Amino acid sequence: MHRRQRSGKPASETLPLVTVADIAGRRVLAAVDPAAALLGLAPGMSLADARARLPDLWLVDADPAGDAKALAAFSDWCGRFTPWTSVDGADGVWLDITGCVPLVESEAALALDLVARAAQLGFTARAAVADTPGAAWAVARYAELPATSVRILGGSETRMALAPLPVAGLRLPAEIVQDLKRLGLKQIGDLYGMARAPLAPRFGEAVARRLDQALGLLEEPISPRQPIVPRLVRRILAEPISTPEAIEIGLEQLMALLCRQLEEEGLGARQLEFACFRVDGRVERIAIGTSRPSHAPAHLGRLLAEKICQIAPGFGIELLQLRALAVEPLAAQQLGLDAKETDGTVAPLVDRLANRLGARNVLRLVPENSHLPERAARAVSVLDGRHDAKRPQDWPVARPRPIRLLAYPDPIEVMAPVPDDPPLMFRWRRVPHRVRRAEGPERIALEWWREPEAGTDGIRDYYRVEDEAGRRFWLYRRGLYRPETPPAWFLHGFFA
Amino acid sequence: MIDYVELTVTSNFTFLEGASHPGELARQAARLGHKAVAITDRNTLGGVVRAWSEANDVAAELKADGEEDGFRSIIGCRLDFRDRPSLVCLPTDKQAYHRLSRLLTIGKRRAPKGECWIDAADLPDHAEGQILILLPPDEADPDFELWARKDGQAFAGSCYLAGQHRYRGDDAQRLAWLAALADRAGLPLVATNDVLYHAPERRVLQDVLACVRLKCAIDQAGRQLEAHAERHLKPGSEMARLFHHYPDALARTIEIANRCRFDMGSLKYEYPDEEGLDGRTVAQELVHRVEDGIRFRYPDGVPDNVRKQIDKEILLVAELGYEPYFLTVHDIVRYARGLEKPILCQGRGSAANSAICYCLRITEIDPVSGNCLFERFLSQERREPPDIDVDFEHERREEVIQHIYAHYGRHRAGLAATVICYRMRAALRDVGKVMGLSSDAVAALNGTIWGWSNQGLPENRVRELGLDPNDPRLAMTLMLAQELTGFPRHLSQHVGGFVITKGPLGDLVPISNAAMVDRTVVEWDKDDLDALRILKIDVLALGMLTCLRKGFDLIREHFGDAWTIATVPQEVPGVYEMIQRADTIGVFQIESRAQMSMLPRLKPQNFYDLVIEVAIVRPGPIQGDMVHPYLRRRDGKEPEPKYPCNEELKPVLSKTLGVPLFQEQAMRIAMVAGEFTGSEADKLRRSMATFRKNGDVDKFKDRLVGRMIDRG
Repeated sequence: MHRRQRSGKPASETLPLVTVADIAGRRVLAAVDPAAALLGLAPGMSLADARARLPDLWLVDADPAGDAKALAAFSDWCGRFTPWTSVDGADGVWLDITGCVPLVESEAALALDLVARAAQLGFTARAAVADTPGAAWAVARYAELPATSVRILGGSETRMALAPLPVAGLRLPAEIVQDLKRLGLKQIGDLYGMARAPLAPRFGEAVARRLDQALGLLEEPISPRQPIVPRLVRRILAEPISTPEAIEIGLEQLMALLCRQLEEEGLGARQLEFACFRVDGRVERIAIGTSRPSHAPAHLGRLLAEKICQIAPGFGIELLQLRALAVEPLAAQQLGLDAKETDGTVAPLVDRLANRLGARNVLRLVPENSHLPERAARAVSVLDGRHDAKRPQDWPVARPRPIRLLAYPDPIEVMAPVPDDPPLMFRWRRVPHRVRRAEGPERIALEWWREPEAGTDGIRDYYRVEDEAGRRFWLYRRGLYRPETPPAWFLHGFFA
Repeated sequence: MIDYVELTVTSNFTFLEGASHPGELARQAARLGHKAVAITDRNTLGGVVRAWSEANDVAAELKADGEEDGFRSIIGCRLDFRDRPSLVCLPTDKQAYHRLSRLLTIGKRRAPKGECWIDAADLPDHAEGQILILLPPDEADPDFELWARKDGQAFAGSCYLAGQHRYRGDDAQRLAWLAALADRAGLPLVATNDVLYHAPERRVLQDVLACVRLKCAIDQAGRQLEAHAERHLKPGSEMARLFHHYPDALARTIEIANRCRFDMGSLKYEYPDEEGLDGRTVAQELVHRVEDGIRFRYPDGVPDNVRKQIDKEILLVAELGYEPYFLTVHDIVRYARGLEKPILCQGRGSAANSAICYCLRITEIDPVSGNCLFERFLSQERREPPDIDVDFEHERREEVIQHIYAHYGRHRAGLAATVICYRMRAALRDVGKVMGLSSDAVAALNGTIWGWSNQGLPENRVRELGLDPNDPRLAMTLMLAQELTGFPRHLSQHVGGFVITKGPLGDLVPISNAAMVDRTVVEWDKDDLDALRILKIDVLALGMLTCLRKGFDLIREHFGDAWTIATVPQEVPGVYEMIQRADTIGVFQIESRAQMSMLPRLKPQNFYDLVIEVAIVRPGPIQGDMVHPYLRRRDGKEPEPKYPCNEELKPVLSKTLGVPLFQEQAMRIAMVAGEFTGSEADKLRRSMATFRKNGDVDKFKDRLVGRMIDRG
């Protein structure tokens, strides 16, 4: 599939367009436009042959990566019809429109709309709608289509419609197709009556499988590009809008709908995405996250409203879509007698701060699996839902840990009996502290797999000490005691 | 010097937990000045024989250095129960050891392979004579206090409570709590360090083993690993410092060590007495059966040299007390042949040198030719039980095995185990996975390791693969893999080695269930069994015997001739013509390419030629340049050499045209020319066979050559 480039030169628009690729050292045609096809050119033909037939050709280098990107973008754009879209090969898009039909009048209308809009975007499309992906694939590529380039297969028509199509329509590898043709099995209908047993040893199970898939005897799921999210509301606008206020109004209406839906299901949203489909085919999205599930329209709406300024309307927005990407169970809340929503927790404030300041700037601590105190806790964003699985019990409570841990342990001078009894006195920032009570040592070795050179210096003996004023500190000595070198002591944290 | 003995030690026979070999632990303990060490693995006695023999070696070395106190290993085990806290169990005498083994057998027989289920209810019956040390849990637990009191009452006088300085910051408190608990429950406190490795450097490997066991990578293991490297053997002075508030706890370790005086060497193995002896002693029975066999083998009367040989052998066997062994093997062979459809079986190896075995129909070499060397099989000096390998038809070997189980009972017969150890490749794979190396890096490193080699990887090889040997992770991985090589991984059953005892086998060594149905395995492998002089009978399978039987069956079916191994026509010329043409695909022993290329050159014409053929196409003779001289002499291109000293060596070497090919010939040369006695010659043979491992073949070489030169 190629997109006709809109170039400035009118003359070039009349020349047939072909793309050229380098395959195994030869230059061959990768794709041809309808005009070139009419004149007898086909993909796979060598450039020299093509030029021999038609000296005047508009040559463009094949750009498979660019084509793939364009196809992916197109597939995303097809998300306006159904969230279940997926790329197929180098030139096709799967759309699973099960359940989307109520949004439009009929399958035919959806397909015609799709082809028409695709044409507006510069793509020549052939669309087929059928009960099974296999059948749709075969019909879209090999069947004779009416002028509208759309064919709808009813439930019972599948078998009949597939019969006259060539066997290549079964999505089989080229060698198998060749073999089948050599045996005289040229059309799909030829395979209908055949016993399966002789086919398998010769061609493998692929033939039988593809046939069953096409006829609906075997299930074939399509993996969609976007994750399946059933919670989605959308609004098609009669006239394209482009002002922030209009977007906000639309958002408000959609939010009310979605929150009512979530509340009925007993769910709250953790991540929301608001998408605006522009007339030129681009999609603008903004997303927010919450630290706790919520279905309060005012709260969520406010979070999204703050980001509306990021949406560039372009020539206008014609479709608004709001969907909940992540949901969690949330019990219904009783409103207060004055019907005001009160949320006793700090969660809404946290959400606002996080969404306004940036998710990375509002943090909380989660426990990590490590003996070393500085690695035993990690700061993560409040909105990050991945760490909710960590429960309070995951914090190791067996050994007491200071409330506050210094990022860089402070060196101190210590008087302590050798080799590893608790200190008697220490001096921190020139202030001496006499130790009244102490506990320890708790020996923690540095992680040898990260620091293999540590050696005997790689252990820390921690002591919990209380000074004469009742303040509690967490000190450690680095390395085992050695008579010839004075030991290095540090202050690592404070207890309450 | 403060005396201390470590009583809770986990060696690498607790698979994937202990990080030191029992030998390393014993040596380190001796080095630190301990007088003994206890090896207590979890629910197993698999490593105790190694610990015991290594401790004996250490004691011998110390004695050589003048230390008379010596060094002991204390045998014991750590019992993990299903429904109560764990105990360390140290038997004080032989009967207590039997009880411990019995307890473990009960636990293992009721559990699937690899597990042991013992309950608190099993303990009282087996507790007499044991020293029990109760191991406290990590956190203070009211249930534990109940158990402590119960144990204090039930096992007063032989139950202790273990205290450990764990370097977790709260040790002073914890030890105080334990001491108070000990007082309340009537259990004296004993000091221990719950050792996992012999030196602090090994802690790294122990972490890796823990990761292999938990199936996670080292970067994810986190708190599942130990926080420090303190669980190693410590000298008495250090333990005294850690327990300076509780000096009694240290003294109690010595007290316990003194009470545990059980020595593995005192285990007396008893051969099964055979039934059906009709009131004869085993010696009389053996003679009786041999006489029967003589009548069968030599219906026209036994030749003189054979008679002399038989008498000599019987005398030696009686002196060493091995009659039951021969009787047992004979029983098994007799059973196999006596079945409705007899199983083809045959003994081989060094047993073929024995005239008794020939008479008992265990082997088929007639000693009348005078070429048997009994010392190869059994010798005075080598006080080991003989090793008779009997091959059975491989398809029907299971019947023989089940017969042994049925006849002797599962409580008296069990298969020997093999300890499967880590080899370089497996070690690299496991360590590499734990250290986070990608699987293709590990595969590439493994690819450079040749076969079963356990050598390390030289740096240039690593560089050739495109990896940087100085990368810390990679260097650490290689070093750890090297350390891990040779560690036991799990126990598996030996191919066919049976241990059969007179009394209950489970009392001698714990028996466990194997993966295969209806198989029970003991925990010791053949080296352990040898060290303790326990009889092992090898019941092996040979596919060719099945082939032969099927061949005989087909012949009987199609041609009506009923042949057996004994009655097959010998020396048929057509067969030798085929052999000389090297048309030998499918023929036992001579179908390899090397053999097929040698056959047309050697042109065997009779059976002995085939014997030579098989013996000559081996790396030894090829490297030792014996093949070409033999071929030349055979073709007549070279005359047979002149034998010095009145052709003393002629009878030894004439059959092989002056080229020594067989171990027996080497022994005879030593005996005839070097005036070695039979047993000395046997020692020479063994040192030649193991010259790669031990280097003492040189000692013999000097002596042999010296003698031969002396005599001209």
